[in-house]
Amino acid sequence: MLDQYATTLTFIALGAIFAYSFYAVLIAGQLSLGQAGFASLAAFSGAYLAPADVADVPALLIAVAIGMSVGALGAVVLGLPTMHLRGVFLAIATLGFAEAVRVVLLNQEWTGGAQGLGVPRVLTVGMAWTALALVAYWFWRMGRSRYGRALEAIREDELAARSMGIDVGRHRLAAFITAGAVAGLYGVLYAYYVRLIAPNDFDFVAAVEGLVTAVVGGSTMFLGPLLGSGFQTIVPEIQRAVGVEAGWIRPFLASLLLLVVILFLPGGLASLIPRRTRMPSGDGDDSAAGLAGRRHPAAGEPVVTLAGLSKEYGGVHAVRGVDLEIRAGEVVGLIGPNGAGKTTLVNMVSGLVPPSSGSATVLGTTIGSTPVHRIAAAGVSRTFQHSKLFNRLSALENVLVGAHLVSRPTFLRRLLWLPSARRDERAALRQAARCLERVGLSELAGSRAEALSYGDQRRLEIARALASDPSLLILDEPAAGMNHVEAARLSELIRSLARDGLTILFIEHNVGMVLQTCTRVVVLNFGEVIASGAPDEVAADPAVIEAYLGSADDDAGESPLAGDARSGATAAGAGDAPPDAVANVRPGAAGTLDTPDTSRDAT
Amino acid sequence: MRTKLHTVAAAGAAALLLASCGSGESGGGESAASGALTGEGSGESCTIEGEVPLGAVLSLTGAAASYGESQQRGLELAAAELAEQGGVTYDLTIEDDQTDPRQAITLFDEFVNDGVSLIIGPTLSNAAVQADPIAQDAGVPVLGISNTAAGVTEIGDYIFRDSLTEQAVIPQTIAQATEQFGLENVVVMYSNDDAFTESGYEAFAAALEEEGVEISETITFSKSDTDFRALLTQAQESDPDALVVSALIEAAVPLVTQARELGIDVPIIGGNGFNNPTLMADAGEAAEGVVVGAAWNSSSDNPENQAFLEAYEAEYGAQPDQFAAQAYTGLKLVDQAVRANCSAERDSIQEALGQIEDVPTVLGEFSIDENRDADHPAVVQVVENGEFTVLE
Repeated sequence: MLDQYATTLTFIALGAIFAYSFYAVLIAGQLSLGQAGFASLAAFSGAYLAPADVADVPALLIAVAIGMSVGALGAVVLGLPTMHLRGVFLAIATLGFAEAVRVVLLNQEWTGGAQGLGVPRVLTVGMAWTALALVAYWFWRMGRSRYGRALEAIREDELAARSMGIDVGRHRLAAFITAGAVAGLYGVLYAYYVRLIAPNDFDFVAAVEGLVTAVVGGSTMFLGPLLGSGFQTIVPEIQRAVGVEAGWIRPFLASLLLLVVILFLPGGLASLIPRRTRMPSGDGDDSAAGLAGRRHPAAGEPVVTLAGLSKEYGGVHAVRGVDLEIRAGEVVGLIGPNGAGKTTLVNMVSGLVPPSSGSATVLGTTIGSTPVHRIAAAGVSRTFQHSKLFNRLSALENVLVGAHLVSRPTFLRRLLWLPSARRDERAALRQAARCLERVGLSELAGSRAEALSYGDQRRLEIARALASDPSLLILDEPAAGMNHVEAARLSELIRSLARDGLTILFIEHNVGMVLQTCTRVVVLNFGEVIASGAPDEVAADPAVIEAYLGSADDDAGESPLAGDARSGATAAGAGDAPPDAVANVRPGAAGTLDTPDTSRDAT
Repeated sequence: MRTKLHTVAAAGAAALLLASCGSGESGGGESAASGALTGEGSGESCTIEGEVPLGAVLSLTGAAASYGESQQRGLELAAAELAEQGGVTYDLTIEDDQTDPRQAITLFDEFVNDGVSLIIGPTLSNAAVQADPIAQDAGVPVLGISNTAAGVTEIGDYIFRDSLTEQAVIPQTIAQATEQFGLENVVVMYSNDDAFTESGYEAFAAALEEEGVEISETITFSKSDTDFRALLTQAQESDPDALVVSALIEAAVPLVTQARELGIDVPIIGGNGFNNPTLMADAGEAAEGVVVGAAWNSSSDNPENQAFLEAYEAEYGAQPDQFAAQAYTGLKLVDQAVRANCSAERDSIQEALGQIEDVPTVLGEFSIDENRDADHPAVVQVVENGEFTVLE
């Protein structure tokens, strides 16, 4: 019974393995067509180099070992110079590689040229499915490991992934090498099934077919390639069985069906399978176990030291000559009108943008040429002005990625089902759950990040930033778009984090919130620091008022700075706001709540 | 209770598995139908009660679709004629391998499991190397109708073909052309990324050496190329007596046209890829003087050929090409083999095919040689006034 379908089943398995080689990079957001080249190199070298004087199956195993090594090696050679390419540029570069491989192999004597190389048929349907099961197992276990999450994070937002301390270059190369090895496996198995391989079997069309299979199946779930291959292989079979006349109608119908699937299931066939979100079990609150410890600077030690820091964008001085020192335990608010250079400054501090001149040291790391993930590793964590969440991941997974730096690698141990991997994953989950709870998002842990409301997205970003147990937390307009109740809660959260000893630098337009939350306020205008000091001093500084209102003649009492300070304090109902901050407010205005965003309009 | 149920289920599954193995061994139900596959009488008078199942694997879509379509027409024409003749009815299933070896392998497997008496095809030689072993292992005879690569029939004693190999046709072409045009040095051009044209090139090179013709230059190109001007100018420099070209028709048409445009008026000697009426239709005047070796002499006046040309023209309103002629001949030969022992059993057909000798066919007097390859006269043609005529 099974015999009858052996061929079809074998091709489903082979197609799926090839599709996995595309899945391996698609999951990290890379579009590569070089897999056909890896498969080709592997198939020919495996079949050619496998010893002839051993039995069939050992010969196949040796060929597989050779092929996978050749595929992986090819991926290293191609990957090193091309890994900085993105999207369609990577696709073109890798396609060029595959084409070069094809042409070279065509012109080699030992490959038999266009007429191909004869290979004995050794592969059986059982072997093909065993190989497929191993490959699928690999990707299944990868899915919920630290490594797998890091790849998904890179796919969703590379910059945010970097800021979470993920070494994007290394991860992308690792994914590419995996793709090379899996493509190599496919090449050898294919050769040992079809009996004759020619370089043209691994041409552009083959590469596109592998890509289509992976995409139709779904490139975000490990069963995707298998479903895709089943679909692609069975459609012609069904058409035959139904009795559609052989000829152009069949490929036409198959293409039409493909179109329908892509249109209505953009996530591929695998999106039909519900995705479960695992929640941490309540048991065992041994909080720090399984997490890598981190040494935080003692209160008062310098965390950020900027000296004459400047940034120019083609003649525009975004930041000029900023000297600033932030010490552990401080909560520093960075305010200033739009375009004052606040975001540029924090981008330099977090390593995203190299300074044009001046020097900066953050947590002992010199800013300039140090990659973002190193700075993150030193203990800097941040949120972004416009949320950069990993949209297709759940809230919990977003925070788990945030915990990348403090959790241990689990993938290889997960492959072996070692209990220690389970413990470490649990620890990371608990850490993530704690962070979600801290920002009040526990209920929404299973929701996709893109499905959250705007305010929730901002809070999720903070939770994600907290998960890495940072020494310095940088928040870029965390309250933007929040109503005053939410802003007040956020203010309370920031103060509670500060009480835990976290150093915080944050940009905020809601000046009132800044004044009542910070221990120090720095005001930036036209790239320069125009004031720095305790909130009440800064609020009263004429230069600051002028910068905000454009004129020193205005009654300082009408300053939106002061008004906001009062409203923020009232909304928060917190007694620890500096009393002086509201001293010059006219009593008649007391009790009215301005929206926190008025300061934005004022600028 | 629960364990009991499991045992029953397991036993049931095992029985099912055994049963399926059993039917697999008997060749997919062939034995059940075998009673009806042998009949009484012999030759013309042979009558077989059951329908004789035949499978054909052709490339009806994909890169080789133009060949597959011709073959399909040839087979269908022959099938219609055989149906009229009566006595033996054929159930011919034509399937499309999409020019994809994986499909060819799957189809061979399916035909073998469905219990067909014989498989015709596949269209391309590389697919034959990949798929024919399946039929060989299962003991199902295969008749290739267009496989010209060396080694196909070496796969096993169930593999036959009615298509002359390039190695059979090309030496005759070169010998006759050398005699006719007094060739001394030639330029050889071929596309090196296609199995068919590359093996054609090898045959040309061997034949030229045999005849003592010097190859002053060998130029390669890709089968997808369409602009040959630079290569032709390069060829022109060595002032050859002829251009010898192994290319598919898609490349042949622009190559010939551009050669004439550049003023190369020496004979152009082509491989089997040139053997297509499209050459004259698309290259027009430029095709004049092209020499092509062929397995089928389209202008032959033997009665079988004349009848074929007439019937084909009437049915499809177009001239047949060699692929149609070989396909048509193939099915007629299968009929011959079935009637010889009046049996459509696989082994019986295999035996009878091997004994085919001097059968009058569209291709001429036809025999199957000891290597199960086709043996019949080849013809060297030259394009004259827009038609293939025999080079004499």
